[in-house]
Amino acid sequence: MEYTKQEFMAIITGREIKDGELIILGVGLSMLAGYFARFNHAPNLKPFTEGGIYGATPVGGLPWGIECNRLSANATSFTNAIDALGFLVLSGRADNAVIGAAQVDKYGNVNTTGIWDEPPWKTGHYNPPKVRLNGSGGASDISVGCKRYLIMASHEKRRFMDRVDYISSVGFLRGGDSREKCGFIGGGPAAIISTLGILRPDPQTKEFYLEAYYPSTSVEEVRENTGWDLKVSPDVKMVPEPTEEELKNLRAVDTTGSLRKKG
Amino acid sequence: MQNKLLSIQEAVANYTWDGMTYCNGAALPVGSCSIAFGKEMVKQKRKNLNVICHCGSQQVNLLAAVGAMDRVEVAFSGLEVYGFAAGLNRAVTSGKTLIEDYSNGAMALRFFGGAMNWPFVPTNVCICNDQQWCSADYPDEYPCERKVPEITDPFTGKKYGALRTLKPDVAAIHVTMADIYGNAIMMGTEWNRFEMSRAAKKVVLVADKIVHTDCIRQYPNLVRIISEVVDAVVYWPYASWPQASPGLYDSDEEHMFYMNKMMKTQEDTDEYCAQWVNNWDSHEEYMALIGKDKIEKISQTETAFLMDPYRKWILSDAEIRELQDRAKE
Repeated sequence: MEYTKQEFMAIITGREIKDGELIILGVGLSMLAGYFARFNHAPNLKPFTEGGIYGATPVGGLPWGIECNRLSANATSFTNAIDALGFLVLSGRADNAVIGAAQVDKYGNVNTTGIWDEPPWKTGHYNPPKVRLNGSGGASDISVGCKRYLIMASHEKRRFMDRVDYISSVGFLRGGDSREKCGFIGGGPAAIISTLGILRPDPQTKEFYLEAYYPSTSVEEVRENTGWDLKVSPDVKMVPEPTEEELKNLRAVDTTGSLRKKG
Repeated sequence: MQNKLLSIQEAVANYTWDGMTYCNGAALPVGSCSIAFGKEMVKQKRKNLNVICHCGSQQVNLLAAVGAMDRVEVAFSGLEVYGFAAGLNRAVTSGKTLIEDYSNGAMALRFFGGAMNWPFVPTNVCICNDQQWCSADYPDEYPCERKVPEITDPFTGKKYGALRTLKPDVAAIHVTMADIYGNAIMMGTEWNRFEMSRAAKKVVLVADKIVHTDCIRQYPNLVRIISEVVDAVVYWPYASWPQASPGLYDSDEEHMFYMNKMMKTQEDTDEYCAQWVNNWDSHEEYMALIGKDKIEKISQTETAFLMDPYRKWILSDAEIRELQDRAKE
């Protein structure tokens, strides 16, 4: 069965989601990965959005936004941001989340705010960016509060950096115990799922290393597309291809084929 | 209780001014937002606005695109699957609009703190990252220590941040339905509308439907915005268009992309405004502009059943016109 890189990434991310988890999902790939997991292997998953939509399953295709009527059509509760992002996320209660990244660095810090020729941490000035992105939304709250979370990103050298231009959502900062010193209640990023492979943080240094790569690529190709000297697990594995069952379950969520239009 | 119905033109004339701190609700990029009110602000040529919103929405995209916004405090400035907000991004990268970034959770806490009349709220988010270290208000201080200053928990000695709380001059809040006194019920999530309605110095509701107060008395638990804090009620069906209003209409997919594309350049923004913002006065003209077919299409929403319990209390246009006339007396 044919599939796109984006579909594979959503399935790999979904495999990381466990049944029964209280999970906060964002728009796009995040929601697809989460609802795929619920269809596929996690029927008791408890997904919610940052504005406080609970108990909903998308109808009519990928929602245009987290408050899209495609999701509001069958909710069990509508609450608010203080509840969803405060009581359930910043409090440390939510188990898992999936966030996206325009840039991610070797310690799992995520930038979704802007791109600079010379970033603020280099110049000591906060000038307007060359390209404005979206800002963090609730991902910054997720990075602080969720017990763990997953980062999805397109694997390119310009996106996988030694240090991101701007930290919108905190990973392990500069590695080692630097995150711990900030006193965050959440555990930090558990994995970076890219279009080429799966990266995990080293337990001591917190630097992300390559744990597994996709059948369509190689260790060399992943390293070439990474902006830092990517370490490779001695037991590096090839990720098993998606099964027909998995693709069927993903497409049951992505009924409008948004993941099949790209790459 | 006072009948607070007001035309959109009068509401903008009476409750907005140049240089004000303006807050739009729910400020959802795809969902509920008081967009028609923002368009009327553009028509009345408001400028130098300081805008506060947790998310961008097409309203903020437009206010930025026309150059009406000097500064914005925001957590998410995009339009979700509809893309980056082209007008806002143009204003930010050119330096016309200063942007102060927070997280969505932090914005909720800041409204809550404003509603409590507190000077600050402690925070465990927007610390140890660039939302703390980068400030558009103090661009030469990096890492900035004045935007989210470090504070110490007096009980444990642990370090937190202090978020400045929000008390905007005026909040224009979109609601699904309200009575003429300003009691409102919202379908879909509230986001920060509950806190925002208590934090703002003045509150204008922009309602898709006007209901009889019997409806309010039937579901008092659902009435999260109360007449006690509301100054004016604007009746404006499809006020959130081209975005959605749960229970009533979906987002207008075609227009969402088109509008954002037009916000990319000043020239196209001017053209867009000539056709879609400055080209109506009455609600009939506004509806004619959207078009009958489009109205029919977006109104066929999967969420329509949410309105079932309330239908018998929804007032007709004729009844509302009479009440609007009476409000002027």
